[in-house]
This record gives sequence, structure tokens and C-alpha cells, in this order.
Amino acid sequence: MKILLACNAGMSTSLLVQKMRKEAQAQGIDATIDAEPLGPALDDVKDYDVLMLGPQIKYALGDAKEAAEGKTPVRVIAMADYGRMNAKKILADAQKAIEEG
Amino acid sequence: MAEEVAEEKQSFLDKFSEVSAKIGNQVHLRSLRDGFATVMPIYILAGIAVLINNVVFPLFLTGDALANAQYWGNAITQGTLNVATIMLAGIIGYCLARNKRFKNAIACVVVGIAALCIMMPQTLSSATASISDITELTYTSTSDTTKTKTVKYDTIAKKVAPKGYQLTSVGSDNVSGAFSKTYTGTNGLFGAIIIGLVATTIFIKLSNNEKLRVNLGEGIPPAVADTFNTMFPMLITLTIFGVVAALLHALWATDLMTLINTCIAAPLKGFVNAGPWFIILVYTLANLLFCLGIHQSTISGVLAEPILTILITENMAMYAAGQTIPADHYMNMQIINTFALIGGSGCTLMLLADTFLFSKSKASKDIAKLAVLPGIFNINEPVIYGYPIVYNLPLMIPFVLIPDLFIGLTYALTCAHILAPCVVMVPWTTPVFISGFLAVGGGTAGVVAIIWQVIEFALGMLIYLPFMKVSERAQKKQMELAEQAEKDADAKAAAQTA
Repeated sequence: MKILLACNAGMSTSLLVQKMRKEAQAQGIDATIDAEPLGPALDDVKDYDVLMLGPQIKYALGDAKEAAEGKTPVRVIAMADYGRMNAKKILADAQKAIEEG
Repeated sequence: MAEEVAEEKQSFLDKFSEVSAKIGNQVHLRSLRDGFATVMPIYILAGIAVLINNVVFPLFLTGDALANAQYWGNAITQGTLNVATIMLAGIIGYCLARNKRFKNAIACVVVGIAALCIMMPQTLSSATASISDITELTYTSTSDTTKTKTVKYDTIAKKVAPKGYQLTSVGSDNVSGAFSKTYTGTNGLFGAIIIGLVATTIFIKLSNNEKLRVNLGEGIPPAVADTFNTMFPMLITLTIFGVVAALLHALWATDLMTLINTCIAAPLKGFVNAGPWFIILVYTLANLLFCLGIHQSTISGVLAEPILTILITENMAMYAAGQTIPADHYMNMQIINTFALIGGSGCTLMLLADTFLFSKSKASKDIAKLAVLPGIFNINEPVIYGYPIVYNLPLMIPFVLIPDLFIGLTYALTCAHILAPCVVMVPWTTPVFISGFLAVGGGTAGVVAIIWQVIEFALGMLIYLPFMKVSERAQKKQMELAEQAEKDADAKAAAQTA
């Protein structure tokens, strides 16, 4: 499972990535989780199973969906989950998004 | 009635964030922001080199040894600041191509740089050599080019001088064969933006034009056709730029870079520095937008940061050359990043300090613990979304007002010459106090900057405190209400089952 997180400069999502990797490991899930700024993320989105946008760039949802060309689901992380760096919830949301396609 | 007002406010805020997102999403503006983000490491590196050259080396070196050591920093300046314009033109071309989802993005780098250089002046105008620079004249034999004779310049100058006169300067025609450095450095950045965006736009338009596609028929490898498909649009694009350059030269004896600098760059810089008002307005809107959950750079990154970044890079170049910073460069990116973004947008590190010292809310303290480490490095999404600031009216007020206050006061202190103007681009992730010391070029000025940041910190804590208390009271009330509602619901359910 390959999860890509994107935010404005890739800074705060990189914080979240660390927590999510730990969470995935604890749950025994084999997952590659990366964080990138929006620009590069749009280039790489098709290499991943899901793209999760930080709430601060939720306006880019349309662009991201366009870049994903329907191949990769795109979701926006809920504000409260993002603020509290709720890795468990966000990981579950990502898994759900992959299942839904 | 109250509901109606709330609804109206909601729709106004929605409208505001919608319009902002539209501005921030505009493809040219976004490419501009992305371009600067890409080239930023180069500016930071230049800043470090300038600092070491001007602050560290002079501490223990003098004379020739100092000059030799400083050659290192000067070399880095030459490779970064002095070619900043050329790099930016290519990078902006690339970013625009990527944002337009144009496949051949690397070709746009070529177009951007080529178009820019086409618009550069071809000659160095009216060179006046300094007398002390000329030492000798070398003559080569007309029959045998290996034979040369050298004459001391002084001797000739004295021979031809009219009686009672001495030589003071040597004029020459325009020098050609030299590439003018006038606009390759920081003062050509406006040109790089405009030319890079225009050239790439034309190139992409032409590339997408079916009529310009070459069809070589079957049997020819598609890659061969592809090279032509890039070449014709490129040829047309650059020809247009070449014709414009020739016309400007023939009709008005000028070039586009000079025109951009005098007609666009100079007035814009003047506008930004005509008091802190424009910048304060932009950051008020930008921080308000963050309170609605959308990143501030959506607004500030396109309306203010490009020009503020250009101003600080120019300051770095001037500082490296040992020049004084003029007053129209006092407002620059560093005033924001160093003095009005302590702990991230809204200077939330001060709110965290208040929380640790005075808060009674466990939830707030928990989030503060999580947010303090990233906060030291000016990353504060955990505070904005977790504390939260978003849609939390009591905290939105200081979140917007404190940065405005700090921008205004820092600018005023610079104008009053209490604080030295910022001369080094420090990464925005640099922790407070270190950032202030470095931004003004260290030394005594650096210490003054630290003191100002300490005062800012105390001021920020003081302003945040009452708003934090109000916010906590409101949160407590909300929780009580929620609990009450739950109890009521339980009681109702119990009554029903009974």
C-alpha cells in the first residue's frame, strides 16, 4: 500500500508521515508513506494508491483529481485529525479511500 | 435573527476563501510561487556565504589572507545571486509547464532561459576605463603575429598630452563581446518572471497547435517527429522575442530588461515600501484565510512574497558588495519570516508559552505539548487545526493582529535606524532569536535584533493571554452544553423505554 501526503511545503505532513509509519508498523500493515509539497505530489500521484491532502490546501482537490486521472483516489484530511496528528484515524481513512477507489 | 447574521457571516467567509483559492490557484501566479520555492535553497546558500564572508572571516583574518578566504564566498555569490535571474527564468518556465500539465516541461526551461537572454542588452554601454586600470599597451607586428612590443601606457599618455594638461579618463565606444552582467543578478528578477511566463505561455500554446505538428509518415521513428514538434514552436517563440529585442534596439536604443526595471520593478518596489500598509493588508487577509483553514501562502505567496523575496536578495547582493541598504529596501521578506512569523503564522509560539504557563485546560496543554517542537521551527499546523485557531473567533483576533503589529513595528524600528535592515535571507524554519541575529548580519546589530525579538515575544504573550482565557471559557461552556444535551437525550431515551 502506497500513501502520499501533500501539504503546502511538505513540512507539516512530513511530521504526520513519521507518526503514520509508526502506526502502520504497530498494526502490521505493509505501507509506503511519503510526504511532498503540492507541486511534486501532482507529478507523482499516479505512482501511489491514494493521495491525502492537508486541509490547508483543500482548494487543490480539483487539480489533484485531474492530475490523478481517476487512477488514484484523492482525499482531504479532516482539520481536527490533522491538528492532533491523529495518525490512526488518517491511516484508516486512507485505507478506506483505497478500498472505495 | 441571530441565525440569519451567523448565516450571512458564514457565506461571506466562504466567499472570501473561495475567491482566495481562485487567486492562489491561478496558474501563472501559482507557477511564480512554485518557482521561488524551487530556487529558494540557492538564495539561502548565498545568505550563508555572505554571512561567513562578512561576519565570520573578518573575526580572525586580515589583509591578503582575508581577501583569499573571501574569494570563496564571492565565488558562491557569483554562482547564486549573480545568475539568479537566469535560473529563475528557466525554473518559472518549468513550473508553468508542470502546472499546465504540459508534457515537455524541460523544453520550457530552455525556452525561458533563451528568451530571457535574448532580451538582455548586447553591449556594455559607454565604458569609461579608470586610468589606474590601464598599465601598458601591447602592439603586434603586422607581418609576424608572434612578435609583440609593449609600451608603458604612462609614456604615451604623457607624449600626446597638451601642455599644462594631464589625462584623467579614457572613454570608449560600447563594448561588445562581453555578456552584460547588469541583469543576470538579483536586479533582473522581475524580467525573469515576466519573460519566463510569457515565453513559456507562447511556447505551450504553439506546441499544442495541431497545425504545427510535423507528420513524417510511417516508418519514421516517432522520436524524430517529436524533435521537430519541439523545434518549430521553439523557433517561432524565440523569433518573436528576437524581433522585439531588435525593434527596441533600433527604434529606442533600449532593451526589454531595462524597460521592465524602470517601468515595472521600480514603481512596484516603491509601492511596497511606501509605508508598511500594503504588506500589512496582504498579511491580514492571508492570516485571516488561515483561520478559515486554508494556507496563508495562497494569498501572501502570490501577492507579496515574490517582490519581498526580490528585495531581500537585492539586499544580500548589496551587503556582499559592501554597499549601504537604501530605505526603499527596508521592507523585505525577512521582516515577515524573522519578525512576524515567530512559531509560524500568527506567531503562535507565544500562545503555546501562555498555554504552558497559564492554561487550565488539559486539552490545550496536550496539544501544546505536541505542537511545541515543530513550533520552534515555525511549523504550526498542529496549533492551527488542533488547538484550534480555525473558526475559533477569540483566537482568530490575535492570530491576525499580532503579525500585523510586528510588521508595522519592525518596519518603523528599521526606518528609525534602531534596528538594522535585514541583509541575509534566513530559512523561514530558523528558530526565533537565532533568526533575528542572522537576518541583520550578526554582530551588534544582531544582538539588537535578538532584544527586539524578546520584546516581541513578551508583547505577543501579553496580547494572546486574555483571548486564550476567553477561548477556554467558551470551550468549557460548549463542553458543558454538549454534556447536558447528552444527558437530556439519555433521560429521554430512558423515559421512552419506560
